[in-house]
Amino acid sequence: MFKSAWIYLPGRRMPHILVIEDDEITAREIVLELAAHGISADRASDGPQGLLRAQELRYDAITLDLMLPGTDGLTLVKQLREQGITTPVLMISALGDVDERVRGLRAGGDDYLTKPFAPDEMTARIEVLLRRQRQEQPAQTKLRVADLELDMIARTARRGSRELTLLPTEYRLLEFLMRYPGQVLTRAMIFESVWGLRFDPGTNLIDVHIARLRRKVDNDGEASLIRTMRGSGYRLG
Amino acid sequence: MADAAGKHFSIHWRATTSRLLLAYGVFFVIWGTVLLGFIYWETLHYLESRTDLQLKQQIGYLRSLSEDHMLIALNDYVVLERTNYNAWGLFDANKTWLYGDVLQFPAGLTIDSDSVRMPTEQVIVGPFAPPTPMLSVIATHLPNGQILVLAHTTRIAARVGDITMHGLWWGISFTLVPGLLGGLILNLGPRRRIRLIESATQPIMHGDLRRRLPVSNRGDELDRLAAIVNDMLDQIERLMGEVKGVCDNIAHDLRTPLTRLRSQLYRVQQELNEEDPHASLIERCVFDVDEVLARFRALLRISELEDRRRREGFISVDLGETLERVHELYAPLAEDQSLRFELEIESGLIVQADPDLLFEALGNLVSNAIKFTPAGGWVGLSVRRASPSTARIEVADNGPGIPQAQRQAVWQRFYRGDASRAASGHGLGLSIVAAIAKLHDFELSIEGGDAGTRMGMECPLRPTG
Repeated sequence: MFKSAWIYLPGRRMPHILVIEDDEITAREIVLELAAHGISADRASDGPQGLLRAQELRYDAITLDLMLPGTDGLTLVKQLREQGITTPVLMISALGDVDERVRGLRAGGDDYLTKPFAPDEMTARIEVLLRRQRQEQPAQTKLRVADLELDMIARTARRGSRELTLLPTEYRLLEFLMRYPGQVLTRAMIFESVWGLRFDPGTNLIDVHIARLRRKVDNDGEASLIRTMRGSGYRLG
Repeated sequence: MADAAGKHFSIHWRATTSRLLLAYGVFFVIWGTVLLGFIYWETLHYLESRTDLQLKQQIGYLRSLSEDHMLIALNDYVVLERTNYNAWGLFDANKTWLYGDVLQFPAGLTIDSDSVRMPTEQVIVGPFAPPTPMLSVIATHLPNGQILVLAHTTRIAARVGDITMHGLWWGISFTLVPGLLGGLILNLGPRRRIRLIESATQPIMHGDLRRRLPVSNRGDELDRLAAIVNDMLDQIERLMGEVKGVCDNIAHDLRTPLTRLRSQLYRVQQELNEEDPHASLIERCVFDVDEVLARFRALLRISELEDRRRREGFISVDLGETLERVHELYAPLAEDQSLRFELEIESGLIVQADPDLLFEALGNLVSNAIKFTPAGGWVGLSVRRASPSTARIEVADNGPGIPQAQRQAVWQRFYRGDASRAASGHGLGLSIVAAIAKLHDFELSIEGGDAGTRMGMECPLRPTG
């Protein structure tokens, strides 16, 4: 039973990712969780093995524990990038320090997650990385999900024939949701992407913003286009 | 200014060198005075005994002369010994004046004994009086029954006294003045070093334990003291490192099982049907584990914030703009709880800060105010210039307020007021605010009466120009 609907495009193979993680049980849980979302995963238990695997196979994404025994995760990312391997990397670190995150992203990582994390949070981030990689084709000027349309040049939104009047924050929130339709987006991801902030804003702050957006986006009497995913976050469409 | 100067002065004089110098100066003055006083007294005594002897010899010689000879000799004596004042008087047996400058027999003078010293005005008055206050006087019976009085100034003795006094005065001036000046100059070196040490301790007191006190290669007391303190700091740093290491290890050891627990619970949750009676139980478990994780992250965050190295990443932040963003983020939440949420800002207030952390601190304060203010209430966010060099950010509400006794405790980890026990949250929000404020050297305060709280944050503005 797949809670998150990975959108399979015709002719595309199942996404395949590499999990570089030294802890056996955490690695198994990550792999299982990814499998539940239709993503297959290989595991490497240390740095050299991870580097070797990443060089051999074209993975769609890599999760990398930065605190591996014997290897510095940051060096590993740098080595990958120097060899021209552009596979998106989700860095996982026990250190939540902002500096550590900045260093990680600067070294060539694509996203950063702090341990302890919820596996659904990790899966959601992996899915965004996979989708972002696929979307890196010509810049779109319009986003469409169901009868919702976002014009990113005029910065306007319409639902069917109805023009939506959105505040700047609401517009950014809707844009983020529409970039990843059918994809579970956690509250932390929303807070990070829309507001550019990484701290715990309290449980219901994002919910309140979503609720306001819903009131503007949804038609009366219809089920909401923005769905709440129990325990995890939100999904558009 | 006068205060500062006074303080400066007192610091100057409280220095060890100055004190030693002052004590030595006082000792020197006393010793010099005693020594010169002794010399003066001895010299005077000697000169006086010489004068006495001379007078005795002279009067003995004069007595042996015939009256005519004696009068000539007396005149010669006065003329020859002009440098010292000499006077004489000749009286009959009834002490009635006959000849000489001494016009009256000095009262209280014993005849035929040793010379005595008496005030000049008792011996001689009028235009012949010498400018000295004391005279040595001697009297004797002549063979014819007349009485001869000889007076002799103690001018030499007075000169000796003057010379001694001058010696004392100049000696003290020449020793003390350059000595004190030299002492002050000598003092500048140690004082400069004390200032260096003082400025080196500032970052240490603020938590940067990597810093050490400056040690020169002189090897004097200050260096030894600084070296001792540095050894102590090494030890403190090592211990702090060990404690932090232990904490990090505990955190690391807990993190992995917590992550496993969360992921396994989540998988169970995903595999259960929504109708399953255990579904809600598992959901509660996931929620609880998430709470634990949130607390965990907050605790780790606080210990991260205690690392002063983060200050290196500070940039100029506009308080007004930051407050606008905070207001925008939390306005829907306030509206959702039927609260009036007001923003009042002053533009152009720039501080040195980590913008994300500042936002987080303000967000926590606002979120707290919104959480504890009942529906229909009011929350205000404002910033204004409090003094030429500081700005004051205030988060005010008309909620239940924080009792005076609990105001200091709210910044501590896990503290939650009695009134707030019912509300959700992990009680670390304000500790994070406190840690962020401490990192920035911002000053937090809580004011307000029984109804309503005003949380203030005093921020030093970035110096302009």
